[in-house]
Amino acid sequence: MMINEIAQKVMGGGRVDRAEAIELYRHAPTHLLGHLADAIRARKHPGRIVTYIIDRNVNYTNVCVARCNFCAFYRPVGSSEGYVLGFEEIFTKIDETIAVGGNQLLLQGGHNPDLPIAWYEDLFRSVKARYPTFKLHALSPPEVLHISRLNEIPVPQVIERLIAAGLDSIPGGGAEILVDRVRKLLNCYGKASSDEWLDVMRHAHVAGLRTTATMMYGTVETDEERIEHLMRLREVQDETGGFTAFITWSYQPEHTERGGTEATGVDYLRTLALARIVLDNFDNLQASWVTQGGKVGQLSLAYGANDMGSVMIEENVVRAAGASYCMDELEIVVNIEDAGFIPKRRNMHYEVLGDPIFRERDVPRMLSLATARAGGDSSVPEELQNYPARSRRAKQQRASIGD
Amino acid sequence: MNTAAPFDRLMDLVSAGDPLSAGDLSQLASTPDILPLGMLADVVRRRLHGTQVTYLRVALCAFDKLFTDAVLPAAREVRITGTPGTLDGAVTAVEAARAVAGERAVSGFSWMDVEKLAGQAGTSAALVLERLRSAGLDAVAELPMDRIDNLAEVLDRLVAARFQHVRLTIDKSPAAARTALVLHAAELQTRFACIQALSPLPTALNAMRPTTGYDDVKTVAIARLAAPNIPSIQVDWLRYGPKLAQVALTFGADDVDNVTAADDAPDGTRRAPLEDVRRNIKAAGFEPAERDGRFALIA
Repeated sequence: MMINEIAQKVMGGGRVDRAEAIELYRHAPTHLLGHLADAIRARKHPGRIVTYIIDRNVNYTNVCVARCNFCAFYRPVGSSEGYVLGFEEIFTKIDETIAVGGNQLLLQGGHNPDLPIAWYEDLFRSVKARYPTFKLHALSPPEVLHISRLNEIPVPQVIERLIAAGLDSIPGGGAEILVDRVRKLLNCYGKASSDEWLDVMRHAHVAGLRTTATMMYGTVETDEERIEHLMRLREVQDETGGFTAFITWSYQPEHTERGGTEATGVDYLRTLALARIVLDNFDNLQASWVTQGGKVGQLSLAYGANDMGSVMIEENVVRAAGASYCMDELEIVVNIEDAGFIPKRRNMHYEVLGDPIFRERDVPRMLSLATARAGGDSSVPEELQNYPARSRRAKQQRASIGD
Repeated sequence: MNTAAPFDRLMDLVSAGDPLSAGDLSQLASTPDILPLGMLADVVRRRLHGTQVTYLRVALCAFDKLFTDAVLPAAREVRITGTPGTLDGAVTAVEAARAVAGERAVSGFSWMDVEKLAGQAGTSAALVLERLRSAGLDAVAELPMDRIDNLAEVLDRLVAARFQHVRLTIDKSPAAARTALVLHAAELQTRFACIQALSPLPTALNAMRPTTGYDDVKTVAIARLAAPNIPSIQVDWLRYGPKLAQVALTFGADDVDNVTAADDAPDGTRRAPLEDVRRNIKAAGFEPAERDGRFALIA
């Protein structure tokens, strides 16, 4: 089918198949892709509202056994740079989040073999006891799988126990590209195969949780494999309707084992626009300003995005790989309004919570994102001694707590 | 695209090579709908340049530093930065740059520098230009339209002093005021025919209140549409970064200025500056072509 015919089909509300998607992705002019994506965005969000969330991106540990070769954040078991945040440290981060109007933590971390499921349950319960209305958007599918394997508990039961402890929703991290050939090359097949990642999401949706979905592109995958990824997400969304949003970002190569180059800004806008066209059953697409910067982040609003993502407050993973952009609430709002949209705060379910907080009360400007810990802080949280460790180093560390 | 009929009319105009009216441009500049604007600018851009995007590798060197240290062999233009306190100092800097540059172009200073040097030396701007040109200066690097009261007079003096490839810039004028500036430049081009390039994005950046992506691409597109008689619309690679510079190419820019001349590649050849700019140009759907500081293509 010719580009014009596919474009007409999309404008008429038709669903594109694989061949049509690849034709658009490879051959449609960038402005046309943007135009089609923008038309779908306008159809789904006719009120010109663009949302954002004030939450904090916290990484509770950087110790990870997965060893994905595209990741610059993780430290192997036994590394002197490995850390686990203490409950008190996390409470402080929540207090700081609430102070700038936040209502949620995006809580993700490495696959740490020394954190049993009880640690997660206790953390979630402690958070909910202190902050009953605060939301926990936590543990991507590979982390859920890791907990399942480590504790020898089936995934549905892991999800059930985490929900009982306070889990509110699951972020779509760790999807990378949902094609096993790619996952094997990225050394992330072991943490979760494509089917396993999708199955965790199915179980979560069945359990009543809403989740997001993501795609990290720009490593070794082909155009067809990017589209395969989108098609697999679309199929699950047809089944469950449980995804609230889709977020795509480009691989960040600095300091990673894999190395290489980052996909360009135009690649990002084309990929975002294609995702809006293919994922016709997703309501919300986020702009990834944290990888693309504020300018291309804002331009995303013309290429299908209807959400500026999170104020974030803290970020560790992308920063480790070389990107260090920062946008506080004021800057996000200025960018939304400058693009002709109406900014509204939202929660993880994409329910509008209200107007910008900084227009209601004074909040401090934030000109750089915080990190998990101050440099050189190698303290070991006291409560870890309550949990059995598997690695030798963690056993030694925990034995020496309080000495 | 939600204003289909007006858009079709504008598309017919630009496709036929006809200029848009000031009213049309003003309306386009005021809409947040950037994609139609980009499509229109792209038509003009492709009519003038096809799929070619040129880039220029520049060696930036402070007037009081050793040019031999700063000017790398890969540089196609030596650009003197900073403002000498005296005209003699400026001439000395140009001569030093020229000695290192060889056949390559030497640019430097702003129009405000020229006026300041004239005031300090108790002479005219015309004589300052004459001395700098004789010393080997090929171009005044910054001619900010928003800070020059009488641009026609300035162009007249530049032409008289044999400056052949004029590049106009904008210092920090807000987005709303830039359309009028570009229209004025286009009008002057019909008289002087010396303007080779227009760099429409502000050179003075405010870190606390940066321009937005929408602002930037609209500015580039409006410049392309408002000044179809000026050959090149530039974007500054170092100042605006690869992502915005690349997207600007799809909104009417055809020339990437100020690519670093450093060709070291500590992260591998694929991430060397030259490869990076070429890769970005290709990924935007264009063909990269290197040019020199006099706007001539390098084979």
